[in-house]
Amino acid sequence: MVRASLVAGLLLAGCSKGPAADLQYITEARSAAAEWALVNNQAAQGKLTPTYVSSMHRWLRGQLKSSSTSLTQADSRYGREIEALLQEPDDAHPEELRAHSDKLKQIEDGLEST
Amino acid sequence: MNPLKLTLGIMTAVGGFVDISELVFAAKAGSQFGYALIWVFALGTIGMSVFGEMSGRVAAVAKQPVFNLMRHRLGLKLGLVTLIGSFLSTLITCAAEIGGMALILNYLTGVSYLLLAAASTVALFASMWILPFKWIERTYGLLGLMMIIFAVALVAIHPPWDKLAGGFVPQIPRGLSAKELLVFAYFTVAILSAVLFPYESYFYSSGGIEEEWGPKDLLTNRVTCTVGFGLGSLLAISILASSAQLFGPANVGPEIPGTSALEAAIPFGTWGLLLALLGMFFAVSGAAVETCMSNAYAIAQFFGWEWGRHKEPWEAPRFTLAWIIVLLVALLIVLTGVDVMSLVEYAVLFSIIVLPLTYLPLMLLAGDKSYMGDYANKWLAKGLGWLFFAIITVAAIAALPLYLLTSGGQG
Repeated sequence: MVRASLVAGLLLAGCSKGPAADLQYITEARSAAAEWALVNNQAAQGKLTPTYVSSMHRWLRGQLKSSSTSLTQADSRYGREIEALLQEPDDAHPEELRAHSDKLKQIEDGLEST
Repeated sequence: MNPLKLTLGIMTAVGGFVDISELVFAAKAGSQFGYALIWVFALGTIGMSVFGEMSGRVAAVAKQPVFNLMRHRLGLKLGLVTLIGSFLSTLITCAAEIGGMALILNYLTGVSYLLLAAASTVALFASMWILPFKWIERTYGLLGLMMIIFAVALVAIHPPWDKLAGGFVPQIPRGLSAKELLVFAYFTVAILSAVLFPYESYFYSSGGIEEEWGPKDLLTNRVTCTVGFGLGSLLAISILASSAQLFGPANVGPEIPGTSALEAAIPFGTWGLLLALLGMFFAVSGAAVETCMSNAYAIAQFFGWEWGRHKEPWEAPRFTLAWIIVLLVALLIVLTGVDVMSLVEYAVLFSIIVLPLTYLPLMLLAGDKSYMGDYANKWLAKGLGWLFFAIITVAAIAALPLYLLTSGGQG
């Protein structure tokens, strides 16, 4: 019984689609947005080197693109939110980025509770 | 006991303790579960001290490296399965470390990641070819001490010390959903695996034989394994605790290794950032050397080839060829463009699966009086050894299902 449940769980984990399957990419994107905001915030205070900041921007953007292309439902509220995030310039204001992160967090919490 | 040798040994152990997997999992664990996973680092470190001390003692007394034991104790078939499993997991770890080096250099210089991966491999090759064994280990370990900036940064941000201390008590946070509990369990297994990586004991025991340890070195071995690993673990715990304080409340679940460097930049600015990045770079480089050489040690010891970096490269040609090939294959893996974080996940997953088979023969030999005489395991080493063997066996069984059910800890 336990083994059957485990196998079923593993199969579900590997084959699911829709918002439940997208949850991990929403989490990744939410975190990347928050990291981006933190980097820009610290950069504005002169605590980071320009090379570090531009490298972080490149990696975080890559992370967001990867999350975006991995979504099974790109034309969803969260898909559009990640797309809007990708349109932001590298030196976007930390508050703007945090707002995107907060929206994704709300979506994430909503999906987790269902 | 030579005090200078002992101090250098401890400092090397501290600076060489943290690798890319611990960097990644410490920062992620802190942001996601606050201080609740500190005890797993502490538990893993006790396990590492127990097995490290045993492997050093066996090297000093029986002059037997781990993989030589494995073939004799597990038999050829099971020994070969363990060799293959451990070789693959250590190869992936080596690739993750080289990728980590390139990433950190990219944060420092802005030069192309793939170019830096190739340059890092050339630098590793040169240092392993030119430096004597003792100085390979010491150079990276001592330079890795710049990681102490993470402990200083933690003090500077004034964490809630009572909550932090509470993290050392084994616990499962209350109020977690079923899914969060699975993620918590996955992190527990992953951190145990990252702290107890099998390559660490292969390298440590082979190093003991390279340096011709004898019974007179047993106290140094014991102190290095307890004090050195313990202090090293505090660096990983500092990264976790700063992450709990700075990243968790900001919704940051560090997705790339460079984020950890912010922990030093926030209190200390640019110089904190640079020290953190350099410390991370040398610690990860040291781990790259250890993983690469561990694989060469494993193969050479298993098949009974001449081995050892204390010999000239042409005196142990198959061993020399083995570490060069491991280094090149690890670089090729990185050059495919595979994500470093994915490599870290795979390394941790594969390592925990082979861990019980690595430590079982070691424990059996360390307790065997016909080999070890008066230096065989006493009740404490025996009890702790079997306790940790049980823990890693449960972790090994749970690792793959947890990885699949949580999408590698993403939930």
